[in-house]
Amino acid sequence: MPTAYAFYLTTILVYGAVDSMACLALNYEFGFAGVSNFGFIIFQAAGAYAAAILSMPRAATANGGFQQYVLGWNLPWPLPWIGAAIVGGVVALPFVFLVGKRLRGDFAAVGLLVSAVLLNELVKDYVPFLNGAAGVSIVPAPFQSKWDPQGLGYQFAYGGVAIVLTIAVYYLLRRVTESPYGRSLRAMRDNDIVADSLGKNLRKQRAGVLVLGGALAALSGAILVGFISLWAPGAWGYAETIVLFAAIIVGGAGNHKGAILGAILVPLAFEEITRFIPPVANPTLIPALQWVAIGLLIILFLWFRPNGILPERRRLLSTGPALNTVEVVPDDGDSDALIKLGNVDQLNFRELLHLDNTVNDNRVILSTTGLSKSFNGVTVVSDVSIEIHQGKLTGMIGPNGAGKSTTLAMLAGTLRGSSGTIFYDGEDITSMPSFKRAQAGLVRTFQLASEFKKLTVLENLVSAIPKQSGDSFTGSLRGKRFWGSEDKANIERAEEVLEGFGLSQYADTYAGGLSGGQRRLVEIMRALLAEPKVLLLDEPMAGVHPNLAHKIGDQLTKMCESGMTILMVEHELSIMDAFCDPVIVLAEGMVLATGTMAELRKRPEVVEAYLVG
Amino acid sequence: MSSFGFGLITAAVLAIATVGFTMQFAVTNVLNLAYGSVMINSAYVTYYLNIHHVTAWVALIGGVITGAVASWCLNRFIFTPFQRRNLAPITIVIVALGVDLVGTFGLQAIVGSSYVAFHQSAGNEYHFLGMILNGLQLIILAVCAAVLGLIHWLLKYTRLGKAMRATSANPNLARNSGVKTQFIISTTWLISGALCGLAGTVFAMNTGVFEATSAQLYIVLLLAAMFLGGPGEPYGAMLGALIIGLSTEISAAYINPQYKEVIAFVVLLGMLAFRPYGIFGSEKTL
Amino acid sequence: MATGLSAGYDGRAIVSGIDIEALPGKVASIVGPNGSGKSTLLKSLVGVVKVLEGQVKIDETTVTNTAPEEIAKLGIGYVPQIDDVFPPLSVRENLEIGGYLLPRRDVEASIEAVLESFPRLKGMMTRKAGKLSGGERKMLAMGRVLMLSPSVLVLDEPTANLAPLVATQLLEEYIRGFADAGSTVLLVEQRAKAALRISNWTYVLGGGRIVLSGEPKDLEENPLFVESFLGGAAPTR
Repeated sequence: MPTAYAFYLTTILVYGAVDSMACLALNYEFGFAGVSNFGFIIFQAAGAYAAAILSMPRAATANGGFQQYVLGWNLPWPLPWIGAAIVGGVVALPFVFLVGKRLRGDFAAVGLLVSAVLLNELVKDYVPFLNGAAGVSIVPAPFQSKWDPQGLGYQFAYGGVAIVLTIAVYYLLRRVTESPYGRSLRAMRDNDIVADSLGKNLRKQRAGVLVLGGALAALSGAILVGFISLWAPGAWGYAETIVLFAAIIVGGAGNHKGAILGAILVPLAFEEITRFIPPVANPTLIPALQWVAIGLLIILFLWFRPNGILPERRRLLSTGPALNTVEVVPDDGDSDALIKLGNVDQLNFRELLHLDNTVNDNRVILSTTGLSKSFNGVTVVSDVSIEIHQGKLTGMIGPNGAGKSTTLAMLAGTLRGSSGTIFYDGEDITSMPSFKRAQAGLVRTFQLASEFKKLTVLENLVSAIPKQSGDSFTGSLRGKRFWGSEDKANIERAEEVLEGFGLSQYADTYAGGLSGGQRRLVEIMRALLAEPKVLLLDEPMAGVHPNLAHKIGDQLTKMCESGMTILMVEHELSIMDAFCDPVIVLAEGMVLATGTMAELRKRPEVVEAYLVG
Repeated sequence: MSSFGFGLITAAVLAIATVGFTMQFAVTNVLNLAYGSVMINSAYVTYYLNIHHVTAWVALIGGVITGAVASWCLNRFIFTPFQRRNLAPITIVIVALGVDLVGTFGLQAIVGSSYVAFHQSAGNEYHFLGMILNGLQLIILAVCAAVLGLIHWLLKYTRLGKAMRATSANPNLARNSGVKTQFIISTTWLISGALCGLAGTVFAMNTGVFEATSAQLYIVLLLAAMFLGGPGEPYGAMLGALIIGLSTEISAAYINPQYKEVIAFVVLLGMLAFRPYGIFGSEKTL
Repeated sequence: MATGLSAGYDGRAIVSGIDIEALPGKVASIVGPNGSGKSTLLKSLVGVVKVLEGQVKIDETTVTNTAPEEIAKLGIGYVPQIDDVFPPLSVRENLEIGGYLLPRRDVEASIEAVLESFPRLKGMMTRKAGKLSGGERKMLAMGRVLMLSPSVLVLDEPTANLAPLVATQLLEEYIRGFADAGSTVLLVEQRAKAALRISNWTYVLGGGRIVLSGEPKDLEENPLFVESFLGGAAPTR
């Protein structure tokens, strides 16, 4: 093979590996966890710089001291690369403040983009740090004292190592995302508020994702800088991140192979194609057209094929015989009336929901004192003090605008109260964040559709199960051998509940495709699997056919008999009648009365509140 | 004190740009990151008229029209169709970035990458109140102030302006009152696009020499000004632009001038972290 | 007037088989427990929710599924339950938008007329609508609609979130007053007894269908009426 081609091939190998690794990392952040890291290039740059200044000799003495930079520890390979990965992870930490809070996704992304621009400017301007706009050059290649970095054999070996590392990253990320932890990440991506209400620690998860993504991005930068020996601000403008996003959109977000495909098609192919185009008079024409092409790729793919060439794969969890998975369910209003709940009466709630140790002692398990909430000067909830007794199915009713949903949100932690205290199981939880409350057994459901759309029904259910050993980053790393059998048991438990509620045939269907009533059942089942001690239901029967509503009510009663406590906000007074005792009446943000429906009906002020003015 | 003068100019241009940008956000709920490319394309249209013997200030009209038409098309053919698909806001932002690439680099492919400048004189220098401003800068200041006044008059005193504010506050209720919201939204893009075109041209005039990618980083100052005042608040945009414009220039007198824009970045990140609804917004508006 | 109406979201009917009628100079009210579809029904009459089956007519004109902008032109004034004003606009500006369809010179006269009905608003013309109290806000919401002197007033739970005294005043003075002045009034109310007091005809909605209808005094004596509110009367399909 002519040497020129051979050298060219080594370049392709290295760039292909580096781009693939970067895309895998970004896809992990964006495609799997829903973190739109518009500042991704920062981390690759940090890694490149770190690897450079860790492997280069002291600035003052190197090559006549024509460069200025910090460190210069002259470390041998592989230390600079390891150091680079660590730096990438550390650099990610300050950015958690942008993505950890409940900031709108597009705002956070813009903040990251701006950070990339800012850091690029700062590095360019402050020369003593990383040699300013000129960048660092004459970066030593690994083992260059032993082997000639310009030699063909060396370069092939370099390419080989790069590819091996990229493959390792592929398997590492796959191990992480195809675990219970990965499931939680995808749940967070699909609906972060709901994931939070099921006990997922969003800030910790997002921080973990940024740190790992940052470390891998940095590694890719280290590999690149070792090969090309120089790194300057011009190489990492904010637009480079856009190229990588385009790659993921084209290849397929949420699919590791898609990330690699995208990396080969977009950054790699684009660079390489320009070598074969004859030079034109205007030297900036080709690069400009490249950018135009990237822009068009983004727009066209997001319009015609937003899932990319290799879309995210469906995870088939069911352990039973292969079912004909039903795709989209025709949404027929009457079908809800016909939903049979299957063998639900055979479900042993005490066992399934781990209520075995609860004693039905009627103690006060959840209470508030003087709870209030005001928005912009308008008081919505005023001085509400209620007591919920363990083992009871308590109802909460009231006219529109009475403050029921707001009160429930404050109990769950979704909203912070303006004043007052909340006690749960003997502890003051007023300032406890919502995900911690869920982990402690105080779980809520939502009024509007809240399923994880791109997770299957079974995944929706299993994701709620608490204390999964595979549901942490370290747990996921330990692999299937570690969390596999526990996960299988969890899946079987979820399948049992699914069968009980008569929806087994939808086990592997994407939750977003079910009918309204079916989605409602999925939400209830999911909330149950979160092993709540106290379940807060926000209008669970809204839009549900009365027949189905009563069947659900029967099951709720059974759950309370098995030791659970339920507080249900509802409008359907027939449900209250049949199942709830006691019932709390709210009106105009205050507690009006408490008692059974029969008692309440006799109280004139309740009748007034509901019928009069 | 002279930096106060520069600060005023920067603030004036930034105010025009930010008001346009924030109006687009108010009425469509989208961060139009393609704004910079419309700015620079408008500047180039003015430039081409200018080098074909049209005085710069008359050629400006061409730039304004370009901005208006381009922005209107952007909403009609890109943002509205994509929004109908109920995608996450982040997806639309990525689309906007794609459009920005096409707009900026498509321009560069056509006009090349050499720097150009308008054929206009800077005029005499005027000294007052410790500031040194040349004729050109004074005219820029005057034009911007006049346009801001026009916008204020539009929003507060005209039927159209009130309809625009009503539509961004509560589109359903506006429709119930008989307002043709589709038309109002299109018109808002037309007007904000005109502001964008004006801002782009005046920015280029003030910068002196410019080329296709000159406006790419302007978006950062713009975002800082918008988030400071509050996303979707035109008066917030004016205040934000004033603060950012003045502080960046005045700080240049005290710290290394290379870093003067760092203030804008820090303000933006600070606002996003602590008060994303800005000075004039409240939690509910977001 | 609606005949055989069926309406809902995303193709699923929330209310069906509805026949209602409202006449000039009279107040027709729709009451029923929460979740019975009252709001949805109202919204389908004014073009906010899609009508799936059936027709809506004003006099002889069919207006089924007409866009809200057109509905306003036809002389129908709709006051939604929430989001009923433009919070960042001043009281005066809210009224001006209410009068958007009027020729320029008539706007001032219309504002004057509205202020006659709601004198409390006179002192707050420059205050931002978002800063008004509940009662004042509702007055402004109705004032906005009155700017066009509509012949039909459609009100969705106008007394929601209002203190009882204010609510009573709103219903008995203002809303009844509009009907007495000749307009057609159709309202949805949660405070059923109060609604009965001012209505000429009342429909009781339950589970998306009309369960009862009649003159208030007949309904009050009907034992089914109270039942339908405090549980039990939701029909199974």
